[in-house]
Amino acid sequence: MLGFVIIVAFELLGAGLHRLGVPLPGSVLGLILFTLALMLGLVRLEWVERSALLLVRHMTLLFIPLMAGLTTMTAELRKNGVALLASLGASLLAVLLTTGGLAHLLLRDDEIAEINREADLLP
Amino acid sequence: MIRLILHLFARPALYILLTLAVYALSLRLHRRWAWIHPLLSASVVLIFLLWELHIPYASYNTGGGVFTYLLGPATVALGVPMYKQGIKLKATLPRLSLVVFAGSAVGMITAGGVASLCGASHRMVMSALPKSVTTPIAIEVSRSLHGDPAITAAMVLLTGLVGAVIGPGILRLARILHDHAVGAAIGASSHAIGTASLFRSSETQGSISSLAMAMAGIFTSVLAMLLNLYWRAQGSGHP
Repeated sequence: MLGFVIIVAFELLGAGLHRLGVPLPGSVLGLILFTLALMLGLVRLEWVERSALLLVRHMTLLFIPLMAGLTTMTAELRKNGVALLASLGASLLAVLLTTGGLAHLLLRDDEIAEINREADLLP
Repeated sequence: MIRLILHLFARPALYILLTLAVYALSLRLHRRWAWIHPLLSASVVLIFLLWELHIPYASYNTGGGVFTYLLGPATVALGVPMYKQGIKLKATLPRLSLVVFAGSAVGMITAGGVASLCGASHRMVMSALPKSVTTPIAIEVSRSLHGDPAITAAMVLLTGLVGAVIGPGILRLARILHDHAVGAAIGASSHAIGTASLFRSSETQGSISSLAMAMAGIFTSVLAMLLNLYWRAQGSGHP
């Protein structure tokens, strides 16, 4: 439970800073500060690890209510449907191929074994 | 009896339970038939139930909204995989950030460019820009660019879903197979929805993907911030 408290505290801290005029989204500020706190040892990994991984692992669940909400805005989506779908498809393809292609060129020499293969992110 | 049912229908707890049940069901379906994406099946079942039971979305959202709120803390929680992978991938980190930065920039340019070419209004173009990053970040970026956060949320969800379903196949076709490359590409393009899919099949790809999606979120917000500062410097505000 301590983990959740720390994580929500960082989210609020980020939202507060955004409110005070820092021009980045509150959740991004929270994420940056939280990662820095972990790196500096202000927050210990074992305090937050379980809560954080619970949230990250089940992110799909968190999107379900928003998906159901799409039904309430079909009119708006239809009006701009073609442009938005074209933008979505083209951009998705572009990001996949640039990122994948560049990563293929720049990262392929790295040892995969560099990553700990123990299932430390999944239980 | 009817009054009891009506009373229960007004309880947020019922909708929290309903959402969890639909999610559990969708994970089961996914385990049985791997090609059915859990977000897709869960949404279809949920929309069908709300429709059949005549539950307005606003009532459902008194309970369901709890999960939407949790997207904020979940974004902050990405710090944990970022920190853990950052330690393990120290040597790769600068190159990985370069790759994700390029992906984020290309994503914003193509999303805005194509929407604009198709005749979308300025507001719609701005709403399309942050579509590759996770919802809480995308919504705030959209708001800062004077886009429509609801349209952005729709774009984010569809991008994530489509990317999660067909992204790995497209990468395979392009012969991009290295775990790091697949993770980076899915994380940068399909944020949390794609990342969650990867985690179900490959630990390594999922870890890189969560790192890439967090980076993409940061880079996209920074690029949007620069765009805003540029407009402000021009003194014209939004065109």
